[in-house]
Amino acid sequence: MTADKKALLARIEGLDHIPTIPAVLSPLLRYLERPLEQLDVQRLTDMIAQDKSLAAQCLQMANSPLFGRWQKVDSLRSAVMGLGIQRVSDIAMSCGVLNITPRDGAGIDPVVFWEHSLGCALVCRQFARTISYPDPSKAYLAGLLHDLGIIVNLWTLPQEFRVAYEFARAEGIPLHEAEQAKLGFTHCDSGRLLADHWELSPDLRDVVSLHHTAPESRDNAGLVALVELSDLLCRMSGLNHGYTENRQISLLEQPSFEVLSQQCPELKDFDWARLTFELDSYMEEVQSLVRAIYRS
Amino acid sequence: MTAAAAHSVVAAEGPPDPELIRIRDLIYQVAGIFHPDNKLRLLLDRCSRRMKELQALTLGEYFECLTTKPMRQTELIALLNEITIGETCFFRNQTQLDALRRIVLPKIIETKAKLPFRRLRMWSAGCSSGEEPYTLSLLMREESRRLKDWKIEILATDLNQRSLEEARTALYGSYSTRNLNPYFRQKYFTAAADGQLQLQPAVRDSVHFSRLNLSDDARMIFMKGLDIIFCCNVLIYFDLASKRRVIQHFYNNLLPHGYLFLGHSESLYGVNDDFRLVHLPRATAYVKGERTQAGKQAS
Repeated sequence: MTADKKALLARIEGLDHIPTIPAVLSPLLRYLERPLEQLDVQRLTDMIAQDKSLAAQCLQMANSPLFGRWQKVDSLRSAVMGLGIQRVSDIAMSCGVLNITPRDGAGIDPVVFWEHSLGCALVCRQFARTISYPDPSKAYLAGLLHDLGIIVNLWTLPQEFRVAYEFARAEGIPLHEAEQAKLGFTHCDSGRLLADHWELSPDLRDVVSLHHTAPESRDNAGLVALVELSDLLCRMSGLNHGYTENRQISLLEQPSFEVLSQQCPELKDFDWARLTFELDSYMEEVQSLVRAIYRS
Repeated sequence: MTAAAAHSVVAAEGPPDPELIRIRDLIYQVAGIFHPDNKLRLLLDRCSRRMKELQALTLGEYFECLTTKPMRQTELIALLNEITIGETCFFRNQTQLDALRRIVLPKIIETKAKLPFRRLRMWSAGCSSGEEPYTLSLLMREESRRLKDWKIEILATDLNQRSLEEARTALYGSYSTRNLNPYFRQKYFTAAADGQLQLQPAVRDSVHFSRLNLSDDARMIFMKGLDIIFCCNVLIYFDLASKRRVIQHFYNNLLPHGYLFLGHSESLYGVNDDFRLVHLPRATAYVKGERTQAGKQAS
């Protein structure tokens, strides 16, 4: 690690601004580590209802077609009954992450990062289901949290991060490359600090810190690779970081493709075109939902 | 669900009808064109028009018309016509054209820069009334600085003689020119009778139109040395075997660094393994991958 990188990371660690995990999310995350059959509807609704604003956001989101609900739900309990425990947990986590995104991103619209995270979560889940990945819910959570480091950067080093972001945007390059060039570290590094601080599970820590270098994950390479590929798809589409990367990619040539293929043989014959087209349909919904929640 | 009821369900933002999903999947499987969830309403609207015509009362009944009844082939083509109706216009797929300009063109220029004779050869296969090849010509004109000393060839073919005649007159109404921005409108068009726009003769003459049946193997083998092929919403009408043959020709006709662009939400999945899907900014294209044994034998 270079001296600069060490110094900057130390600065992040020392700052009071590092986001604390929202009060509801910590027990919720821990609760969700249990097997699905051990989860209880009343306990889950009680946990979410502790935070009134979170509960209201959850209801708003539960009424979106993105979460499969077509009839209006007007209480957390009916949301859980209609959508199931897993969906409502996903929604609660999604709203929780929104609430730690700063409202002012030093001239950057922080909403785009949340749109990207939610979009990536949805793509991860759909992708996981299609290739029979064993845990689509974990894939959703991993997609949602993968860019936590960006939130850290927005909170702790807004001016420096803005320079990196503007550089990425102007050059049409991936954000992590611009961060490396301008900050000496990437959101994977700062994300790792937050993931440790929040005591996320080991697989989520790997996702947060290795989602641009999936093969480096020793124990969770499959999940990290799934997120890396979904993230790439989102960044090449309209669910990007607020700008389009100026490049051509072949998903089949990504090292993460090889990693995930070993775990999911169905990937060898996967219809990437269809997933890309499906992603287009999330885009409008994600954008309108995020903007509605964020501005409410 | 009846055609009339179908409309009311859409208005009420209901969940997608499982029969509609079956029709969506059938169209994707047979024609390679996919309707994501946010386009299902459009698909339902197109189906409803056909159901009215056939007096089919439910989507389930209409699905039968598309799959089991003797008229299934004719009905599938009728539905595909409804789906693609009004698609043709200048600058139809802006993100695809942006990707062409920002990524594909620089790559091709770099690849061919060292050649003594610099030629860029593009083909609009199934050009209909000419909006697509003329759009390509306009874009290349705007790239004249990068393409200085390059010979630009734009070939445009269609099966329909009448469409080709229309294309050669280069006279367009408001629907075809709806995506034209004021810059292109003023620079390359002049006002004509009945509110139509006449394309400048220099642009018109830059495109070589000819009649070609994509299933005509004897003629297809002569479309050689291409850098870029556009074939949008044309292959959807071909059966799988014909589609495979056409795509194989495209593969052979393209130079090693060549690109094949299809229509929006159109895919080669299950049709060809030689082409490789690549992602460009907010667009996709196909490039030549390593050839499989089966592909070698077919060519």
